[in-house]
Amino acid sequence: MAVSLGALPARRRHPIIYRFLQNRLAVIGLVIIVIFYILALIQPWISTFPYDQLNPGMRDKPPSTEHWLGTDRSTRDVYSRLIKGGQVSLAAGFMAVLLVMTIGVSLGAIAGFFGGLIDGIIMRITDIILSIPLILLLITAAALFRPSLKTTIIVIGVSSWPGAARLVRGQFMQLKTQEFVTAARAIGAGPVRLMMRHLFPNALAVIIVEATLWLSYAILLEASLSYLGLGVQIPTPSWGNMLQDGQRELLAGAWWLTVFPGAAIFITVLCFNLMGDGLRDALDPRHRSR
Amino acid sequence: MARRMLFLIPLLFGLSIVMFSLVHLAPGDPASAMMSPQAVSNPDYLEQTRANLGLDKPLPVQYAIWVGNLVQGDFGTAYAFNRKPVLDLIGERLWGTVQLQGISLLLGIVIAVPVGILSATRQYSILDNTVTIGSFIGLAIPAFWLALLLQVWFTVNLGWLPSISTGQASKPWAERWQYFVMPLIVLTLPNIAYFARFMRSSMLETIHQDYVSTARAKGLDERNVLYRHALRNALIPMVTVIGLQLPRVLGGAVIIEQIFAWPGLGLLAWDAIGKRDYPVILGLTMLTGAAVMVINVVVDFVYVLVDPRVSVSGDSATGGH
Repeated sequence: MAVSLGALPARRRHPIIYRFLQNRLAVIGLVIIVIFYILALIQPWISTFPYDQLNPGMRDKPPSTEHWLGTDRSTRDVYSRLIKGGQVSLAAGFMAVLLVMTIGVSLGAIAGFFGGLIDGIIMRITDIILSIPLILLLITAAALFRPSLKTTIIVIGVSSWPGAARLVRGQFMQLKTQEFVTAARAIGAGPVRLMMRHLFPNALAVIIVEATLWLSYAILLEASLSYLGLGVQIPTPSWGNMLQDGQRELLAGAWWLTVFPGAAIFITVLCFNLMGDGLRDALDPRHRSR
Repeated sequence: MARRMLFLIPLLFGLSIVMFSLVHLAPGDPASAMMSPQAVSNPDYLEQTRANLGLDKPLPVQYAIWVGNLVQGDFGTAYAFNRKPVLDLIGERLWGTVQLQGISLLLGIVIAVPVGILSATRQYSILDNTVTIGSFIGLAIPAFWLALLLQVWFTVNLGWLPSISTGQASKPWAERWQYFVMPLIVLTLPNIAYFARFMRSSMLETIHQDYVSTARAKGLDERNVLYRHALRNALIPMVTVIGLQLPRVLGGAVIIEQIFAWPGLGLLAWDAIGKRDYPVILGLTMLTGAAVMVINVVVDFVYVLVDPRVSVSGDSATGGH
């Protein structure tokens, strides 16, 4: 008697999804992240004012029915800027991680697959980059080149890849000795086909977890740079530069200028971490206890 | 270990090339950054200043001169900062950072290790769940945001603590501690979160090893099993984790020292970057890079010393990461 797949309980059919859904904190993280991304996407329709519109006479006004989260020192609406800033911060984080993973995965894959001299050179480059504290490297590069959203993304991308490269290299080195790879090689698969069709899909789980955790880190880095005035430049809002702009008004008691953007960064980073951790546990049950 | 140390020499050369290119390929000119706008408009004077700084020579020549001096231990003189020697500047500021970060690391370890152990031995208890959630929060709070909030509470609202550290060195110790409180809270919180999480998982992994079950099976009481058998091995990976924190510690210093005007290396780096003071930026990154590389080798070496299961070549026999 054939057992149809549909008759199996959910935990047998999709063990990874099942394990992830069992982790309450990870699911909460995922839901909040999805909500944040949706808010960023529909930003033009839900903002109550243009994010850069000045509202004469409305300097540093506390939250009210008209300006939900108050106004800043240039009389702009904080709620509309927070939504737009979220769009900028989330997009910047996403682009930066895309760059980090593209560079890191390609170089890590090449190093791990070919080994030998190529591996030696790539790994020495990662050693060199990893020896400089990331923040110091980012601040130096961002300050010397003209700070902007684009600079921020590029700078984060080109200085943060060594971690991902090492991870993927380790995966590829482990995988390439396995029998299915030897078999594929025996029937004539070339290096590109081996890497793309056989090794990469097997390393994908680890890469996705790494990317999720990097998303939280990249958003934190972008916020740090923008807070220091070396990232996204006003009038374009990002959570980091809103904090920088708002901190000057703290002495005057305008707490809403620092509390809301700071909380937005905190919640986003927290949720990405919870989600990334849940994903790692779901993909690798050995890590369950962590 | 001596062999590993020798391998650092080519790496340091690589680092010098990377940093030199980064700094010199960036647009902008330190000569005009250090002069008044009127002086910049005078081309003769600008040329003269550039020549004085050695910026008129071709880049490879500049690099060769810089590295040549570096090898002899000469880091050059700063463009700004009253044209002091770079090493003097770094020497003046080193203690400030070491004090702050040293205390923060120690506090982090002292608090996190017991917390992590308790959390692991009472897995899924209320305490354990609190620690897990607490460490997630500790790692997610942006340091600069926390620093701002603390400054508002303790300085503006309560008036208890000074918000910036300018002039603290001249104060007697009875008053100086006040300057440490806020920077220490901001720096130590993520340390506690990170170390406690790691200690917890390390302890959990050890508890489930066969030899721990054996110890239990032969009738040792639980306290003996945990603290004499499991704890020792669970502490070993902490050596690596604490060593690997060093770059993060030095990097974090830049933001925190800037916010609290703390007279350390981080603030020096920040000021030097703002002034395009190439010798200081390069000196700082080279020394930091060298320190991180040396610490990595030492950490590996210590690991071999404390864990007989690991061979000198660095291969782990435990099957761990």
